Amino acid sequence: MNWNDYEAIWKRQPPPVGASADIAALRATFETKRRKLAATLLVRDSLEGFGGFVFALVFAGVAWRIGSRGWPILAGAVIILGISLVFLRDWWRRRRTRPGPAAPLLVRVDDELAELRHQRRLLANIGLWYFLPYLAAIAVIGSTLGRVNRGAAPPGFLLTLLTTPATLAWIVILFAVFAAAIVWAWRANRDVVKNQIDPRIVELEKLRREVQP
Amino acid sequence: MPLPAEHDALFRDWVNAHGGIVAKIVRAYSATPADAADLRQEILYQLWLSVRSFGGNAKPSTWIYRVCLNTAMTWRRGLTRRERRLDRDVSPVAMAASDRSPADAASERDLLDRLYAAIHALPPFDRALVLLSLDGVAYRDIADVTGLTENHVGVALTRARKRLGQLMEGIVDELE
Repeated sequence: MNWNDYEAIWKRQPPPVGASADIAALRATFETKRRKLAATLLVRDSLEGFGGFVFALVFAGVAWRIGSRGWPILAGAVIILGISLVFLRDWWRRRRTRPGPAAPLLVRVDDELAELRHQRRLLANIGLWYFLPYLAAIAVIGSTLGRVNRGAAPPGFLLTLLTTPATLAWIVILFAVFAAAIVWAWRANRDVVKNQIDPRIVELEKLRREVQP
Repeated sequence: MPLPAEHDALFRDWVNAHGGIVAKIVRAYSATPADAADLRQEILYQLWLSVRSFGGNAKPSTWIYRVCLNTAMTWRRGLTRRERRLDRDVSPVAMAASDRSPADAASERDLLDRLYAAIHALPPFDRALVLLSLDGVAYRDIADVTGLTENHVGVALTRARKRLGQLMEGIVDELE
């Protein structure tokens, strides 16, 4: 048998049973996926983006209350805001550059490959652009608050704060939550790279190699 | 975000006129009936969504091929590990053989089953090229769907046809 035989078999096949246009079912699928996606994005954006904006706003308010001595806090708030803007910029870039559903196959493959490599790069360097600036901002804000309050209320606001059981408990809880969030984010990102991004990159690179002339 | 009624009407027209494209691609890219139902639903869903961005610049059939093939080639991501394992266990060759009885061994349907089994065993991109070529789509339109140049389509298609031939021989040998 040769290609002509295959074509003949193909052309003689009974008309395949097509698909039915059940709009109601498609709408239901659409709504389910939309809600699921919206929930996922809400959680992610709240944690990564919106959370940063709120922190930045709160610390900017604290800096304003303190006055000229609080400028390092403002710098810390700007750093946190900058991290949130990285997420916002990346979201906007993806929105603008994503090819449509009917883009040629190769365009879609190349785009997905480029996007996955970009995400992998971002996650691989997350310590540099996310954790490090965050820790630096928190360190700057914390040290400035301590410095400002030491002079304001001798023998030291910080000392009073640390020796009051209730406030000490709040501080411990706050740091524990912050540390847990960092560990969670780091582990989640590592798992995403290992289980989703890397296998998909391998799959797409294989696909890309297959279409090389 | 509901679509306007005219979009629904256009989608219905597409499905009525080109439902065969969907059916063939579903059969070529799925290994089990459950997969086929899942992929068909996903393709129709993506096609329905794509109506909004259809500007009328491309031929509807070219547009439909693109959406269907894009969906089919990325759809496997959604399968769980267990489903992937089941998918591997049910090979297209085994599926073709299981339907075959001595009485209709030489029948047209059997040959078609073998052909689908061979297409299914091709790498995903070759599968797309072979499907388009078997459907009689011109090189220029294949280039439009895939993003390759026309010359490259010719080269890639020659290679895919050769692979298909080898697979067909293998399947025939295995069945005989």
